[in-house]
Amino acid sequence: MAQKIRVICDSTCDIPSDLLSKHHIRVVPCFVNYDGNSFADDGVQLKREEYYRQLPHIRPVPKTSAFPPGLVEPVVEEALKEADHVVILSVPAKLSGVYNAFRLGSSNFPQEKITLIDSGQVAMGLGWQVIIAAETAEATGDVAAVKDAVQRVRNNQRLYAALDTLEYLRHSGRVGWASASLGSLLQIKPILDVREGEVKSHSRVRTFKRAFEELVKLAHEQAPLDRLAVMHADNAKGAQELKDALKDIAPSDTLIVNITPTIGTHIGPGGLGFASVSKSWRN
Amino acid sequence: MTITRAMFRESGNTVCDGYLLKRLAVGGVLWLERNKDRVNQLNVFPVPDGDTGTNMLLTMRGAWSQIANVEEQHVGKLARVFADGALRNARGNSGVILSQIWAGAAKALEGHETLTAPLLAQACIAAVEMAYRAVEKPVEGTILTVAREIKDAVLTRAEHEKDLVAMLKTMLYAGRTSLRRTPEKLPLLKKAGVVDSGGQGLVFIFEGMLRALCGKDVSAPVTPIVVNTPAAAVIQEGEAWEDALVPEDDEGYGYDVQFLMYGENMNIDKVREDIQAMGWSTLVVGDSNLIKVHVHVHNPGIPLNYAIESGADIDDIVVENMHRQYQQYVQARAEREGGSSPGSVMGAPVEGVAVITVASGKGIQRIFTEEMGAAYVITGGQTMNPSTGDFLSAIDALPNTEIILLPNNKNVVLSAKHAAEQAPGGKQIRVVASTTIPQGIAAMFEYQNSISGDPPASLDETVKSMMEMLSHMVTAEITRATRDVEIDDLKVKQGQFIGLINDVLAVAGDDITEVARELLHKADADRHERITIYYGDTSTERDARNLAEALAEEYDALDFEIVFGGQPLYPYMIAIE
Repeated sequence: MAQKIRVICDSTCDIPSDLLSKHHIRVVPCFVNYDGNSFADDGVQLKREEYYRQLPHIRPVPKTSAFPPGLVEPVVEEALKEADHVVILSVPAKLSGVYNAFRLGSSNFPQEKITLIDSGQVAMGLGWQVIIAAETAEATGDVAAVKDAVQRVRNNQRLYAALDTLEYLRHSGRVGWASASLGSLLQIKPILDVREGEVKSHSRVRTFKRAFEELVKLAHEQAPLDRLAVMHADNAKGAQELKDALKDIAPSDTLIVNITPTIGTHIGPGGLGFASVSKSWRN
Repeated sequence: MTITRAMFRESGNTVCDGYLLKRLAVGGVLWLERNKDRVNQLNVFPVPDGDTGTNMLLTMRGAWSQIANVEEQHVGKLARVFADGALRNARGNSGVILSQIWAGAAKALEGHETLTAPLLAQACIAAVEMAYRAVEKPVEGTILTVAREIKDAVLTRAEHEKDLVAMLKTMLYAGRTSLRRTPEKLPLLKKAGVVDSGGQGLVFIFEGMLRALCGKDVSAPVTPIVVNTPAAAVIQEGEAWEDALVPEDDEGYGYDVQFLMYGENMNIDKVREDIQAMGWSTLVVGDSNLIKVHVHVHNPGIPLNYAIESGADIDDIVVENMHRQYQQYVQARAEREGGSSPGSVMGAPVEGVAVITVASGKGIQRIFTEEMGAAYVITGGQTMNPSTGDFLSAIDALPNTEIILLPNNKNVVLSAKHAAEQAPGGKQIRVVASTTIPQGIAAMFEYQNSISGDPPASLDETVKSMMEMLSHMVTAEITRATRDVEIDDLKVKQGQFIGLINDVLAVAGDDITEVARELLHKADADRHERITIYYGDTSTERDARNLAEALAEEYDALDFEIVFGGQPLYPYMIAIE
């Protein structure tokens, strides 16, 4: 018997608002804290373009935090009013307290109506899982099918990001190897590989051009693609160039996303990357 | 029985044995040594790292050191030992080609007890063949052309000439003619107003051989440039050069004594035997009328007394205190290396694919080892080209079975390639032919990315991605001109700052900032992203910062980065990426 299923996620997912409303996806905002204030990362309190312009000048470097469980409860409650089941997808527990906040915030609801999944992904890596979960829910009304789809997406997705500098990731303290890396004699641009809740260093290059070429190569290794999002932190020009460079493999609904300040705080302005899902996820 | 000069003459100069061949070799070595600086000066660009003469001499010395204490009449066997010594000590492009010339000759002489004109022709053919094979793309107007044209002359002459002295003269004259024509074949030489340096070195070697055969003086003052000068020491594998230079004798280095003995009916074999008993590193050449003596002793009076008491007139006496030379050498070497500890630097052990590279300067060496994970850095590069043997020693010193050689200098590429070929079985050696330090550093980024992959990239994949990096960047270098020159429209005065782009002379001027500015302009810096300035041992961080600020005014879209290199002779090396 088909169920009505709603999907909830945190604000790091970076899904454009038209897609959110199309799929009735609810988003719980994370927080960015600086200058003694805490700003909800909901696109209202923090405007992305403005935030990235200020970021290099905000000292100490901003911190980010998960929402309190109390903010989760009303969202789940509302969703359950219109649906039989709620699927919650979260940014990795290894990187953030979001998963735990979701767990606690949904603990007072009948557990057979809640499915909480640690996506192991961030930004549009998480975003594609959320969108495909919502699509599958609409098409099947079957929680098991949604869970299965999410797992298959997870097995067939990639997220790579080239950072302009390692500085922000080092300050963030959430990625061990980056925090541990000493100041190097030569400046580097790291390329990150995010997979299964781990942020790994894929490679280190010297120039943006070289990083760009590497991203293009990595994206082509994933082709044929079912989904593609080009992500940037206040680097719209680079994002458009990357999208153009991938036009031979980019699906027609390829997105360009200026990433949310919660993630941008950890990677710094200028970052560029992509989140892809290969066609093989459908098999 | 040995063929002496007298017997040689009796045979109509037609048959030569190992004993005579050895005397020719020594003549070649000594004459090259005497003229080494002239060869060094024949650099196309007036950069201070012109060391073709030094490289060829080190190659010849290495070859000589193998036969110095060998009494071998068999021509084939002697040539083999000599060639092996050259191969192991070959350094620089010309040195490597030279070692291949001897290797080819030795191959042709194999199994022959004596040398005759027809065999000489065979040796020349084999020598030239191997020399051309030494380089991937042979360039005419170089030592190769000189060697080939010498061979052509020998082949023509050998059809009706049996006299080896006449043959050697033919070789020399053909060599000189060919050398004079090198600027016509290589426009670069013509522009610089020089003949080819490697070809000149080869001509000096044959000239020395002929002089030795004719009993002319080939003596050279002992020059303090070579690793094995003070005690004629041969640096052993894995041994630091300071250790290799410790005196052979407990009493210290002693004195280097050289003189000529004039007389009649002198018995050179007896003289050699007597002199050998007095000291070490003995060299006694000549004939019954003139003997050149070279010996290291603690008391210079002993060999001098001996010569006078034998009734000979002595002349051209040179006595040098080798301990003082050693101290000067150590000091000069330390200065040349910008105060860094000489020798080689081991990096942290690495698993899988390891890199052996070549660099001078504390800062640059540190970047390669600590930052980039090179397993072994051979000290050298622009001012001292490591030999094939240096690479082989480094290869031996590493436990890794897959190794990449990164030469960082165009004059070191060949030594690296030959080392890769000669490396012991069981080790896979590849060469990534970087020709500048910044290229090497850029390649190391790819190396790190390759080995840190999951799973790590294979040796060949790693090499491929490193190679791709080489063309991704431009290297600009600034140094001082060592002589006046005019190339194209560029007039350079000795002592002026000169700028090179990818090893080609591009700019000259008196103001270093202006030279740098013009270099960036010519290198199309505005089409790149990042400028890294490696400052050398004669520049300060403040100098470099001022330079970067001056340049950044014009190129504000580029990232500027200042890094301590500590390299000698080049105040700035600039990577344009």
